[in-house]
Amino acid sequence: MDTRAQQDQYGRGGPGPRAGRTRAPRLTRRLTRPLRSLRLTVAAGAAALALTAGLATPLNPAPQQARADDGKKVLTVAVAQSMDSLSPFLAVRLVSTSVLRLTYEYLTGYSAKDNSAVPGLATEWTASDDKLTWTYTIRSDAKWSDGKPVTAEDAAWTFNKMMTDAGAATANGSFVGNFREVTAPSPTKLVIELKKPQATMAALDVPIVPKHVWEKVGDFSKFNNDKDFPIVGDGPFVLTGYKADSYVRLKANKSFWRGAPKFDELVFKYYKDGDAAVAALQKGEVSFVYNLTPAQSAALKKQENIKVNDAPGRRFYALATNPGARSKDGQEFGDGDPSLLDERVRHALFMAVDRKTIVDKVFQGHAVEGKGYIPPRFDTYHWEPSGDQELSYDPAAAAKLLDEAGYRKNAAGKRVGKDGRPLNYRVLCHATDPNDKAVGKYLEEWWGDLGIGITLDCLDNVTDPWLAGEYDLAFDGWSVNPDPDFVLSIHTCAALPATPKDTGATDNFICDEKYDGLYDRQLAEYDPAKRADLVKQMQSRLYDTGYMNVMAYPNAVEAYRTDQIASITTMPEAAGNIFGQDGYWSWWSAQPAGSDGSSGSGGSTGVVVGIVAGVVVLAGAAGLLALRRRSTADDRE
Amino acid sequence: MTTDTTAAGPAEPPETPVRGGTKSPRALAWERRRHSAARFWRQYRTHRAGVVGLAALVLFALLALTAPLTVGADVQSVTDAPGGPMEEPSGEFWLGTDQFGRDLFGLVLWGSRVSLLVGLLAAVLSVLIGALVGITAGHFRGWYATVVMRVTDWFLVMPTLVLAIALATVMSRSLLTIIVAIGVTSWPTTARLVRAQTLAVESRPYIERARALGGGHGHVMTRHVLPNVMPLVLAQTTLMISSSILSEATLAFLGLGDPTLVSWGGLLQDAREAGAVSSGNWWYLVPPGIAIAVVALAFTLCGRAVESVLNPRLGVAR
Repeated sequence: MDTRAQQDQYGRGGPGPRAGRTRAPRLTRRLTRPLRSLRLTVAAGAAALALTAGLATPLNPAPQQARADDGKKVLTVAVAQSMDSLSPFLAVRLVSTSVLRLTYEYLTGYSAKDNSAVPGLATEWTASDDKLTWTYTIRSDAKWSDGKPVTAEDAAWTFNKMMTDAGAATANGSFVGNFREVTAPSPTKLVIELKKPQATMAALDVPIVPKHVWEKVGDFSKFNNDKDFPIVGDGPFVLTGYKADSYVRLKANKSFWRGAPKFDELVFKYYKDGDAAVAALQKGEVSFVYNLTPAQSAALKKQENIKVNDAPGRRFYALATNPGARSKDGQEFGDGDPSLLDERVRHALFMAVDRKTIVDKVFQGHAVEGKGYIPPRFDTYHWEPSGDQELSYDPAAAAKLLDEAGYRKNAAGKRVGKDGRPLNYRVLCHATDPNDKAVGKYLEEWWGDLGIGITLDCLDNVTDPWLAGEYDLAFDGWSVNPDPDFVLSIHTCAALPATPKDTGATDNFICDEKYDGLYDRQLAEYDPAKRADLVKQMQSRLYDTGYMNVMAYPNAVEAYRTDQIASITTMPEAAGNIFGQDGYWSWWSAQPAGSDGSSGSGGSTGVVVGIVAGVVVLAGAAGLLALRRRSTADDRE
Repeated sequence: MTTDTTAAGPAEPPETPVRGGTKSPRALAWERRRHSAARFWRQYRTHRAGVVGLAALVLFALLALTAPLTVGADVQSVTDAPGGPMEEPSGEFWLGTDQFGRDLFGLVLWGSRVSLLVGLLAAVLSVLIGALVGITAGHFRGWYATVVMRVTDWFLVMPTLVLAIALATVMSRSLLTIIVAIGVTSWPTTARLVRAQTLAVESRPYIERARALGGGHGHVMTRHVLPNVMPLVLAQTTLMISSSILSEATLAFLGLGDPTLVSWGGLLQDAREAGAVSSGNWWYLVPPGIAIAVVALAFTLCGRAVESVLNPRLGVAR
């Protein structure tokens, strides 16, 4: 799963045992407060501020984030999504896989320029004539951070572990399902033998781990790799510290084979509140913030020293339908509405969603209208429905379709299901995602006009009802990789859970024979053009089923401080995202800004003026308070 | 609070002199109540802050009740939103627009309905529980009172907001959930107050007389104790409403309310999620914030005034 298709910021998507999001710590600011304690608070605040102000006088300026204490160049990134695991065998979320991209090197990478395969640990790779035996040459200049060399044996051990231990196959098992044997005949030679041809052999997004560290691990399904710091790795950064929902600290790997990163330290700092993260960026406490709202990006664009990156994203934002949850052993479970099993109903719901309005109003133009499954950024695979196939916004036709399907309106104007009760769908939404709630408001009105009611179930943790199939529709979204195999695989029957108690890789229990046939063919197709054609046919099939209504492809809207980061690579280079890349390009390439820019001194002058003004005001307030105190004391006597 | 301004116990001497002997006891009782109400109002009027609070409340109540006529339910509609996203205040939109282009002035008016409704119902629920627990604990004493008061203490030391958040999280997101979450977490203060008053009332000789004449538990509690703790309960309700409104706003602001309902706290939450704080879109944040503050203040002013009228011994400065 890994960077193939991570769950985005909000941990959307059901698959994977750790797929859901954990409860975000809420902003627990109390609005209520007895008036009496206010005075105390003010006094205490004045004292505290006076103390801190004393510490940050012009003689003793507060440390600047970009060049902290001992001249170390630190890059701080504001993140919000909780970490699911730091084990490469378990992690599926965007934040955790981004960290793993930085700490473990992969066999191959994607070029930042055009997403083509570039050497990683493997310097070159060749296939036998029958395309069933792949030989990788492993570079000899790569070292683990504890000094031991990286060898083909490490890679072979990683793959073999995933093939033999179900716990180790949790996140990336789909890559090795077709492997017959993996061997390392010499320290620089890795041989993978396949059962069937596999088109993704130059895009194996599996972090290679050091055998000498990981062979001591007992239970791979439980080990989270977050105890022994620094964690032995071979990427551009070494993980030196982690505290859940607080920070992730990474140190530059000076001996990285591609060259050392320019920053000395990279810190992912947690801000559970988007506005707080933006305020921290404005103050220079963090250098980079992603997932901005339209209002935030508009405000930040006007500020100096801040650059807003608004580029096509690699995510899709969809409404997934519960097609009747079931497991591989044929058992049905969950309680999805039976009317949704009717394709006409799904099409009617599809046609009653105005995707253009969603892009214009909810994303305010920071997105592209949804069509096929794969975002237009991956133009090789992007597909759009033809004129008569398209389920465009047409409420009248949707109403007609529902009438035909037998879901007619009753006297109260509500559509009635086969059981005689009015149709009312539960829509699973992420309480932490403003977009879900906003789109929910539109759905309520569009589908309400159609005669269908909805209940918006906004939860902090959508995983439980999702995995249990206890929903009718759900907001869904995945980040797509240059190689689309993974996001396609999550809709195959093979991804269904083994039994209702198990967790499958499936996104929303879709199992369609025709789709599966096309999936197997594309995976075995080595000709890029033919494979792209098959992938498009799959998307066409998925579109026709009406299970996945891709509403939009949201842009990556991010901002960074230009007085802290001089330059940073986007992916693709022309117009792309910085956070959550398919590689380590952005953080590895980030150039620190000049250590004494004029802006810095301007900032500190401002700080000094602010502090002086603040102290004067607070002193005045304190004096006033003291006076009042005395007067009340006099009154008392 | 040894008050006798409202319906007093039968053993208390009647306040108003009986004029002639022709009137029925019922009519006499009504006359007495009318008189005490008039006296209450006379005294209440002398509390200027209380009058101001009451005026503000009447204004807000009128605005909330007439909202369907003045702004209409359509103000919540996102599909028919009249303006562009995040427009500044203008002649057309007095308080600007939100991220959907909806008129914020209308939304603030409409939001008063939910905020006031939740505040009132939650306060009533909270005071009901508190009064019930307080009266029974004060009346029965013994092991029952011990157990009930330990439970009360437990609720008292638990941070109300944390408890309410926990409740609102496990229950489904709806208006009722919020009302229940606030109601069942904020009653212990009332219970303590009511119990103390019950103990004071029950130690009076007339209660003993009533018992001697055969008055049962129910009779003593409903006919003698309840009328005497009523003023306290009323004042407590008024004060509780303002804290309930604040709690509702807090919960909605934390995203625990029903996302499809418009309330003041919900508007603040929407503003925060849209990034209005860091973008400086003050017109989205300030009006609902001021509305919450004003209504909470108004209820507090009224509550204080009622309290000091009913219990002159408090000696609260006007």
